[in-house]
Amino acid sequence: MDPLDYPSLLGGAVVVAPLLLVALLGVASLVGRPLSETASARAVAAVTLFGLLATLAVFAFMVAADTRHVVVGSAEWVHLESDPPEPPYHFAIKFVFDKLSIPFVALTFALLGTVGAFAGRYMHREPGYNRFFVLYSVFLAGMVTAALAGTIETLFLGWELVGLSSALLVGFFHERPAPVRNALRVWVVYRVSDAALLLAAVFLHHMSGAGDFDKLTGYREAAGQEVAAWPDGVCQLEPIQVWVVGGLLLLAAAGKSALVPFSGWLPRAMEGPTPSSALFYGALSVHLGAFLLLRMDPLLDASPELSNAVLVLGLATAALAALAARVQTDIKSVLSFASLTQVGLIVAEIGLGWRYVPLVHLIGHACLRTLQFVRAPSILRDHHALENAVGDRLPRPSGGWLGAVGGWAYRYGLERGYLDAALDRFLVRPFLVAIRTLDAWERRAAAALNGVAAPPTPPKEDRPA
Amino acid sequence: MDPKHSADDPHPANGDGGPHDALRAAIGHAAHLLPAQGPITVFIHHNTLHAFEQLPFDEAVRRGGEVFGCEPYLSEDRYRAELRKGRIRVSDLEAVLHLEMAATTADPLVGTTTPFDLRRTMLERPIWAATAAELAYYLAETGALHTFRDDVPAHTRLRLTGETRRWVMRDVRPQADGSPGWVGDLFRRFGARGIETWDEGTWEAVTVESLWRVCLDGVAHAPPPAAPPARPLRPRDRLLRATGTDTDLLVNDLLVRFTAAFLDQGISAWPLPDRGDGLFRCFLRTYARPGGPADSWLRPLRSEATRLLAAGTDALTAARESLALLGVPAAEWDDFLSATLLALRGWGGIVREVELRGDRVAHPIPAGSLEGFVAIRLLLDRLAAAHVARAELDYRGPLAELKTHLASSGKFDGECPPPAANQRTFPVFQLAQLLGWSPAELARLTADGWANLYRAVEGFHGVERRRVFHHAYERRFRMQCLDAVAGHVPVRRPAEYRPTFQAITCLDEREESFRRHLEEVAPDCETFGAPGFYGVAMYYRGAADAHHVPLCPIVVRPRHWVEERPTDAAGHERRARARRRRGWASLWFRAGTRSAAAGAVLTAGLGALAAIPLAAKVLFPRLTARFGRPHHGEAPGGTRLKLERQDAEPSHSDAGLGYSLAEMTDIAERLLRDIGLVDGFAPLVLVLGHGSHSMNNPHESAHDCGACGGAVGGPNGRAVAQMLNDPRVRAGLAGRGIAVPEDTAFVGGLHNTCNEYVTFPDADRVPPSHAGVLATVTAALEEVLDRNSHERARRFHSAPLAISNAAARHHMDARAEDLAQVRPEWGHATNALCVVGRRQRTRGLFLDRRAFLNSYDPTRDDADGTILARILGAAVPVCGGINLEYYFCHVDNPGYGCGTKLPHNVTALLGVMDGAASDLRTGLPWQMVEIHEPVRLLFVVETTPAVVASIMERNPLIGTMVRNGWVQMSVLDPHSDGIQVYRDGAFHPYQPAAGSLPVATCSADWYRGWRDHLDFAEIRPGA
Repeated sequence: MDPLDYPSLLGGAVVVAPLLLVALLGVASLVGRPLSETASARAVAAVTLFGLLATLAVFAFMVAADTRHVVVGSAEWVHLESDPPEPPYHFAIKFVFDKLSIPFVALTFALLGTVGAFAGRYMHREPGYNRFFVLYSVFLAGMVTAALAGTIETLFLGWELVGLSSALLVGFFHERPAPVRNALRVWVVYRVSDAALLLAAVFLHHMSGAGDFDKLTGYREAAGQEVAAWPDGVCQLEPIQVWVVGGLLLLAAAGKSALVPFSGWLPRAMEGPTPSSALFYGALSVHLGAFLLLRMDPLLDASPELSNAVLVLGLATAALAALAARVQTDIKSVLSFASLTQVGLIVAEIGLGWRYVPLVHLIGHACLRTLQFVRAPSILRDHHALENAVGDRLPRPSGGWLGAVGGWAYRYGLERGYLDAALDRFLVRPFLVAIRTLDAWERRAAAALNGVAAPPTPPKEDRPA
Repeated sequence: MDPKHSADDPHPANGDGGPHDALRAAIGHAAHLLPAQGPITVFIHHNTLHAFEQLPFDEAVRRGGEVFGCEPYLSEDRYRAELRKGRIRVSDLEAVLHLEMAATTADPLVGTTTPFDLRRTMLERPIWAATAAELAYYLAETGALHTFRDDVPAHTRLRLTGETRRWVMRDVRPQADGSPGWVGDLFRRFGARGIETWDEGTWEAVTVESLWRVCLDGVAHAPPPAAPPARPLRPRDRLLRATGTDTDLLVNDLLVRFTAAFLDQGISAWPLPDRGDGLFRCFLRTYARPGGPADSWLRPLRSEATRLLAAGTDALTAARESLALLGVPAAEWDDFLSATLLALRGWGGIVREVELRGDRVAHPIPAGSLEGFVAIRLLLDRLAAAHVARAELDYRGPLAELKTHLASSGKFDGECPPPAANQRTFPVFQLAQLLGWSPAELARLTADGWANLYRAVEGFHGVERRRVFHHAYERRFRMQCLDAVAGHVPVRRPAEYRPTFQAITCLDEREESFRRHLEEVAPDCETFGAPGFYGVAMYYRGAADAHHVPLCPIVVRPRHWVEERPTDAAGHERRARARRRRGWASLWFRAGTRSAAAGAVLTAGLGALAAIPLAAKVLFPRLTARFGRPHHGEAPGGTRLKLERQDAEPSHSDAGLGYSLAEMTDIAERLLRDIGLVDGFAPLVLVLGHGSHSMNNPHESAHDCGACGGAVGGPNGRAVAQMLNDPRVRAGLAGRGIAVPEDTAFVGGLHNTCNEYVTFPDADRVPPSHAGVLATVTAALEEVLDRNSHERARRFHSAPLAISNAAARHHMDARAEDLAQVRPEWGHATNALCVVGRRQRTRGLFLDRRAFLNSYDPTRDDADGTILARILGAAVPVCGGINLEYYFCHVDNPGYGCGTKLPHNVTALLGVMDGAASDLRTGLPWQMVEIHEPVRLLFVVETTPAVVASIMERNPLIGTMVRNGWVQMSVLDPHSDGIQVYRDGAFHPYQPAAGSLPVATCSADWYRGWRDHLDFAEIRPGA
């Protein structure tokens, strides 16, 4: 029997298991008979444990077989033959196990499993218990799909699931207005980033006929001989194509990872229950943008300008977030900006052309930050214990070298760099004004063509929050 | 809006009468409404509606509800559910109604329906009310006008249809033809020609619709609707109604962030610059800097701040300027400022608390901060209002005229529309069906009859119904308690009986089960209850603590300092050094992971290792805790209290620590006399303080000892035991008539009410002759703690009902250590009863952990009740305060409490917010009050009515709380089982309603298999 069959089978199971969990929890909810708390918690534990073990098993097989690239379940959804030399045009659902996806998917299962166990007890007797775990399972499925995606369209699928479940979890306490408002804000930023990713996918197909990462990056399988699995891919696109696709992907990553100028949504995401804040914004989904950049690394290799842009964006984010983290006065905001600082640095490392360093950084950071987040409500006890250990009040350095810059820097950090206000004022408002003006013109034109008086403009609504 | 002022209200402006004084007085008045909760690390339970204590309870909850926008009682649905469960009985409702309708006329309103019948029906059956739009939909789109309500009994339907048919055929039809009113309309629709062949359905529809129309006609005679309570309107309210944009969203966002930064006690690594300038000036300086926020509404802020800063304007002047610009005349300041402050009540309250009690925080703030807070709020309010008025309404005039502009442009005139006729008719229409009033009967009502009917129905509105429900709900519980106490036969002991050991615990209701199990396991012991600080009011510092903490009720400011000293100084210093090293290392690590460069090294280098503690702590909390539990608490004998003072005056210098001999004797005497333990001492007496340890719980302090000011009370038990062991103190006591036998030893300890451990730090000091007794007691305690855990476990759904005692103990330990546990223990939840009297009056009663038990021996008190006055002086406000906080936080958890714990976010080390940014949430979270039964605390005091009446005279606080019904008071005769209950200014004898009490052989036999509240029972071993 072909030795590669086992890994494919296991790999398939890694992808399917979270989908089964979604089906189990989701269908039970849809028919109005949600699982009991214990049953949901057990199902979550079983799926995450299985996923983790299966991922590790795939890894073991790959080590044993000395292969660096295993493709699972390639299914073509659309396939159009073109005249040579044009490449055939296709959409494919395809999953890849390689040095990038295996650590990331293992991290996903490990953290989601732990936080799932945490949430199983934390959410006990909460009316939204079942809703939480349905969204949790969607998130898990999205993360696994995005992590293992072998084509950009598969990645987009996972990306969307992650975004949807995240936004709904931010708005988990929908009986209060603030979570809903903030969830909407997160959702809008996510949509911008989704649109960028979708455009990138479309361009990619337009240019090369396919969205397969391995095709894009020149991975070829010649008689079992692997040429360039991650991170050794070589970009097969023209420089201008690299610019367009790379720029869009950078935009997508910036939205998802709360990089400048989208950083404002991250503290707002702390509206959900503690485990979801911990998981999604502290640990996993905030790293998804960085993961995307790693996945697309041949594009960065091909374009120093793009790499520099990534570097600058990462450093700017890290600088802003480090300043903001110093002056925040609630523990969840402190942690979310501390988290963002590291995400910025990880992105900067990618911009520097490193591959393994950011990956290790990302994994280490996700683990540590999750621990800090789930311990966040202990801050009072920890503070007290630290005072007792030190034997005095804790020192409060007045801003370090930033103190010299003075109150201006403090206010800049406290106001989180004015990023949200700036987005509202310089992006959202002009956009709305432009759209409304166009709308008014259209109405007038239509009225003129119909020979009637111009209808009144509709009332203003949907003002930016 | 205006609760009666308490004595310390500064409102009567007694300064020079200048405008500053008036404004300061108005702010002081408004500040009284703010929540009085201090830093969450020292959680003090108190009456949430303390500001309204001068009013009777029922009026206060209604007024408080209006001011704070909260619910006064549980919902009608909840009470009706209790009615179905039998927790409230119809007889309770009737008894309450009879009592309060004794003076009301019994003349029928319609047919044979008396006002009493009307009210009873309105209680038993839900009477729906609806908004205008909802009602319009309901009437047009459902069968409401064609069929009876589902719960109208069949015989009523038949009778109503029959009578209506007769009435229509006889009286209506002859005059109907062509008549313009609803009758003609009805006939046209149903086809009057076929009237003789109308089927049952048609007649039902005709009946129901006639009822509706007749009632609707009757509304013309109804008295004008009661005006809704006038609420002061802020410009924000007007703009919200006129434009749908809420300026508070804009203002709160900035104000929350800035206030938190100003108050921060140590979360941020970089404190707010210029904090020392006070809230107002600090704000101005921060926002007068160039390059400000990009929000368009804040554009004028910089120039305003610069102007005020340059002019050196103080907060009050700035506030007055804003009030003038907003067009608020001085006469309206009180109400306006109250409404303004309440818009962010939690933050306003904490500013006030930190300002007033600087001794309770690490970084105090200057006086006048609340005034600064008001000034900033008003400044931002007017900027936001001006912005919204300009952006939404294109109004650029002065804000003072905004009100007139909105009214004249028809946007909002400040009036709430009165209820429409059909809204008023709707309840009467439903009652007509339920009570079987036929259209014919109603049509015969005179104008006065209609007015009476509408007055009766509308007078018994939702809040009134809930009030009656609530009284019935309390009545059922009160009867259950009093029946149990009256029916209980006290245990009699021979005069020279000497117990093996005695235990003194806190009066806390969580110790009720502890004491009960102790008495079940060791029948030859005695237990006592007293406020858990045991009269030792001190600033205490443990051997491993950085600071002194006050261990006494919040109303007391201690005058003594006590420290715990290690016996092995060298070893202690070594450990302290190690601890300091670890402390600095973890501090550095924590700061490092939050910074950029160090964070990168730490997270990339060590981050993955965090997966190990993460998984271990989340998946195996108890094991991890045992493995990693540091040696914080020293071993028994490792420390001693420095309790005796050398200096004449107490101070926190070494020689000033502790108490003088005379003070110690006073404390000892007072404790023993209060609990009535002046003879019959056992060889060993335990004095147990209590506290609670739990992980990831910002509200941990709320589970600690309330009598110790929300701190762990172990040192108090230890201190008083050490005093009582001092031979010189005993000699002093003997001189005052209390002879403590030489062979009696006291030992102080700590009961951890969360993980169920009892520790005795001075166990090594018990004389060798008592080692045997101590061993027996320790063994008994192990069994007691297992059983206590088991009884507690029945309330936790995550513990199986069939759990064993030992497993239950493990379960409690695991809860305390679990990061994911939001209900480490239930705390004071379910408290409902406070018995002040000898333990023999309650010993052997299963009180379900719901009773505060304060020991008091009326036979050893004087005729004035001097000792009792002392006890009630603490018990009524403290236990009553705990009970009322639980009442309000359960009745309206999001409003009076702090909502669910799940999104809580610790801010400024002072409190919690919901999620990213919100008002500071005060009160108790839902997870603490979930199983509570909101009833007012029922006092059962073993004494005579005359003594309580005289105490109520002498102590105005007790008098107010009892007279205004904030607690229920009853007295138990010391020499019989006669009980009298206080009601309407006098004590009334209580007639027990139940026969004999249920009997069980042990507590577990009674509570087994049941999660909900239990009836009280007699525990009689061998029964």
